Amino acid sequence: MYIIVVGGGNVGYGLALELQQLPDYEVTIVELSGSRASALRDELGEMVVHGDGSEIAFLEGVGARRAELLIAVTADDGANLVTAQVARHWFKIPRVITRVNDPRNEALFRKLGVDSIVSASDAVMAQIEATMPEHTLVPLMALESAGLRVVSMRVQAGSTAEGKALRDLTLPTGVLITIVITPDGALAPDGSTVLRHGDEIIAVIPREADETLRAMVTGAHPDDGRS
Amino acid sequence: MRVVIMGCGRVGAGLATRLAAEQHHVTVLDTDAFAFRRLLPEFDGRRLVGSGTDDRMLVQAGIETADMFVAVASGDNRNILASQKAQSMYGVKVVVTRVKDPLRAELFGRLGLRTFSPTKVGIELAHDALFAPGGR
Repeated sequence: MYIIVVGGGNVGYGLALELQQLPDYEVTIVELSGSRASALRDELGEMVVHGDGSEIAFLEGVGARRAELLIAVTADDGANLVTAQVARHWFKIPRVITRVNDPRNEALFRKLGVDSIVSASDAVMAQIEATMPEHTLVPLMALESAGLRVVSMRVQAGSTAEGKALRDLTLPTGVLITIVITPDGALAPDGSTVLRHGDEIIAVIPREADETLRAMVTGAHPDDGRS
Repeated sequence: MRVVIMGCGRVGAGLATRLAAEQHHVTVLDTDAFAFRRLLPEFDGRRLVGSGTDDRMLVQAGIETADMFVAVASGDNRNILASQKAQSMYGVKVVVTRVKDPLRAELFGRLGLRTFSPTKVGIELAHDALFAPGGR
């Protein structure tokens, strides 16, 4: 699979390091600044290319037509927005992930149908929430096109969910419990799966199901758990 | 018409002066106050220091009630970001965007902005001038 990462800042660099490890991935990092590009090249080699990732002619040259994934993670929202739309509408790249730096631009990105958005501030909030012992519902990933999110929840002692089989819980519409992680490992749950205190649940949920689920795993009233 | 212009370079300033002379209500935005020196003394519109990609500035410039938005700042991507904001978030009916890169201008034209590429126009004009009759 061929992946293009636009933006060689800390985020792009970190991604490159991760993706490089995977055997079946071919990765190109595009960096606008010449000095930054050559510094990255010294470390990462040929995969780093100096150029403007929002320019159609340039992207053509680095093989955007055969890319299956483009990730736009520069510090410039204008560049990310344009790159994402170029990738999607000109090159028809099947999957495009975009970083939003200014949270106020998020609504625009969504409206323009940029399908997967990573907001730096959201990601930081999720990290903070995940480190708290009482962490209840942490968003892991947004599936923008479907209006869904993948979340992680931890079952608290004394909550509505504790000790109950999944079939006995009244889950909000559209909620899909995908994985339950118990001390014995991960399992694909069915209706008879009983939730224990400390179990982690990975679920696909519609945005509006957030508060109800949070209440279910913490035992708090829906209005208390607002973050 | 109520017009917001982003960018007070030669094009932005010239257009602002002209539209104001034509009795339109003009607000010009530029990140650099020094750019306003290009406006002619008879310009009677508003000038605001700030970025056209910043929502607060756009609102201050009256984007919510503007009939037209023109983005002629220096960066293609900033012009596109501000223009799509004006169009999609604030419902401005007529949005004109300068995009130097001809291919990018073509794509965003297809996506609903009224784009023009000075590069493309410049190439045409230069080419025509080269082969115009009457050289010596």
